Amino acid sequence: MKLPPLRYNFRSLLVRRATTILTVISIGATVAVLAGIQSLQKGFLSLFDESGREGVAVFLRPGAGSEGESAFTRDRADILMKTLPEIASGPDGLPLASGELFLAVRMPKVDGGETNVPIRGVQTKSFDITGDLLTLESGRRFEAGTDEIIVGRKLLGRILGAAQDDVIVLNTTPFRVVGVFDYDGPFNSEIWGDADRLQEALKRRIYSRVIATLKPGVDIAALSARLENHKEVPAKVLSEKEYLSTQTGFLSGILNVLAYVLGGVMGIAAIFTGTNTMLAALSSRTKEIGILLALGFRPWSVFLSFLMEAMLLGLIGGAVGCLLVLPLSGIETGTTNFDTFTEIAFAFQVTPTILGNAVLFAMLLGIIGGSWPAYRAARMRPSAVIRRG
Amino acid sequence: MIPWKLVPRYLRAHPLRSFLTLGSLTVAVFLLCFLYSVVTALNAGVASSSSSRVIVQSAVSLYVNLPLSYQPKIEAVEGVVETCKWQWFGGIYQDRSNFFAQFAVDHETLLTTYPEIEMIEGSDEEFQRLRTGCIIGKNLAQRFPELGVGKTLPLLGAIFPRAGGEAWEFQIAGIYESNSANVDNNTMFFHFDYLEESMDTGTVIADPGVGLFVVRLEEGTKTEDVQRSIDNEFSAGPQRVQTTTEAEFQRQFVTMLGSVPTLMGSIGGAVLFAILLAVINTMMMAARERTQDFGILKALGFQDRAAACLLVAEALLLSVAGGILGVGIAKVTAPIFQQVMGTTVPGYDVTSHTATVALIIAIGVGAIASLVPAWQAARLRPIQAFRAEG
Repeated sequence: MKLPPLRYNFRSLLVRRATTILTVISIGATVAVLAGIQSLQKGFLSLFDESGREGVAVFLRPGAGSEGESAFTRDRADILMKTLPEIASGPDGLPLASGELFLAVRMPKVDGGETNVPIRGVQTKSFDITGDLLTLESGRRFEAGTDEIIVGRKLLGRILGAAQDDVIVLNTTPFRVVGVFDYDGPFNSEIWGDADRLQEALKRRIYSRVIATLKPGVDIAALSARLENHKEVPAKVLSEKEYLSTQTGFLSGILNVLAYVLGGVMGIAAIFTGTNTMLAALSSRTKEIGILLALGFRPWSVFLSFLMEAMLLGLIGGAVGCLLVLPLSGIETGTTNFDTFTEIAFAFQVTPTILGNAVLFAMLLGIIGGSWPAYRAARMRPSAVIRRG
Repeated sequence: MIPWKLVPRYLRAHPLRSFLTLGSLTVAVFLLCFLYSVVTALNAGVASSSSSRVIVQSAVSLYVNLPLSYQPKIEAVEGVVETCKWQWFGGIYQDRSNFFAQFAVDHETLLTTYPEIEMIEGSDEEFQRLRTGCIIGKNLAQRFPELGVGKTLPLLGAIFPRAGGEAWEFQIAGIYESNSANVDNNTMFFHFDYLEESMDTGTVIADPGVGLFVVRLEEGTKTEDVQRSIDNEFSAGPQRVQTTTEAEFQRQFVTMLGSVPTLMGSIGGAVLFAILLAVINTMMMAARERTQDFGILKALGFQDRAAACLLVAEALLLSVAGGILGVGIAKVTAPIFQQVMGTTVPGYDVTSHTATVALIIAIGVGAIASLVPAWQAARLRPIQAFRAEG
């Protein structure tokens, strides 16, 4: 079977420049919205999915879904940290475990209003557990036992008074910012300080969670099952990776719904536009179709040729959509992560997968929009058509 | 003179195209209504706030409790009529995905501080009488049909776990309806005393404390004065407080959303842009196809503006119809969205303001889309028109 040359389709689109451009842009806008929301979701999820480590265990109170809900008294946390044989030891022979206090504190935003910034009181072992993943961008680490804090890089420019050498008053105690740190994960939006000092200042003499590096080969599920009904210190244990992945459901779900609802509804509108465009192409090319058929092209070839043209329209639209969305890549934005109810900053992440899907979606829109006009074209009778012109 | 009769005929001449254009307009107007309603709903709490109430909460964190001893001190401030404790409970009903808000409150003052809350089933007396009693919002009662007056509501305490690990059990004494956006109909309220007592007896392990105090003011009291007095009272600790008006309190939650409203706005813009192009597209096609017709009209002696007017009328007719359909769909589907997004966007509703704005935008799109083709049609010379291919 022979198809009319693709160049013919190209030229047809070129001849109807204005219509083509309008259709292309409307398909482009549709896929741009879809891809935009997906890259937002990707940027948010990658913070959590890609930064969690399998070998690090997070201990929470049974029933607690996040560290904000969880609490251990200091004594119980100590028992956990010092007596569990599964916890690895550091070079100093002490267990690689750390009690952490977590609290979302009110901080003023640069663009007005307040938000909840996570503050984490850590013991020195937290730095050993985090290792090289946490790097200092400026200044130094806080001195243990002092009223000093370090802030995550993403807070700069978003939260007032959270820059190097600023003083943040927590309840009634002033804390000095002595350093800015970077971490490729949600810690990036946090403030870290000495656990004892923060417990004192915030009047919360508890640890929200315990984290520990486990000895290689420890089965976390078995450990969790053993501790679940422990008499002295009931606890549930998750790997850090698993823990972080449970902290994204709500926001990610909203973005998902938004992407599919908007993509779907705008997609319908784009299909309508596409059909309209191809119908117009059809009616102005009636004569040409008649000639094609008279030349011996089969109706099926004409159908495919028209479909191809619609797909081409979708393809160009998809490319335009990608171009529209690309500049978003890397733009930082922030919202509340509803699972922890704290502010989280993240960047749009436009990935090849997202772009690929956008182009496929655009082509699909083109094909659906073009199928009816293509069918109509294929069913024309050469004699009738040529006579009509 | 303008041959208006031609407008419906033209629309009928290409039924599929008219239908598709109408369809895209309808879809666009529906989406605009949806996005606009979400943003409106997010701001609804602020708009409907009462000025006779202020909220006292920790100045440090949303999660820090205030000491119980603060209550009499707040009540002693001049201008304060009464207070109501609110404590976030964070219980789990069957599964985490069934999330809804629960608060332990002063049962005596909940309904007097919030006259917006009205009991529609069961009774307030019953709620007062039952130590383990609770009231639930009407949307909750719809969402979980198994929960009715007289039934037991079991909640697993995530923040307030019972010592044995078993669930809390509350008796449903009533179902309420709030006619204001600042109390939503997806909440459960129970006796603070019951929570406190359980902590005292050791059946629950948690720190006693109060999330926030809702303070009702005497009529005519200057809100700022009361705010300042309360803040000063506790400025030296042990917990500093932040006293805000109810509007400010609601606004805090909106600002926490960060760029979400902006995001919604840009999506709305993109939708509008795409649809505008689609309608321009249709009108250009329509104009091109009618080149010969317009030539005939002109040759027959109709004025230049006749052709232009016909095109504009056609576009306006389509856009008004699309607008009405879109708003209609948004209105009809509103209850579904209220059900689906009850916890995320409580108070979703397509207001008449939203409907009006959407209609105006739709008509605007139609008008703009027909401008260029109409201008071209008006400038057309009959001789060119006849030469053009249909």
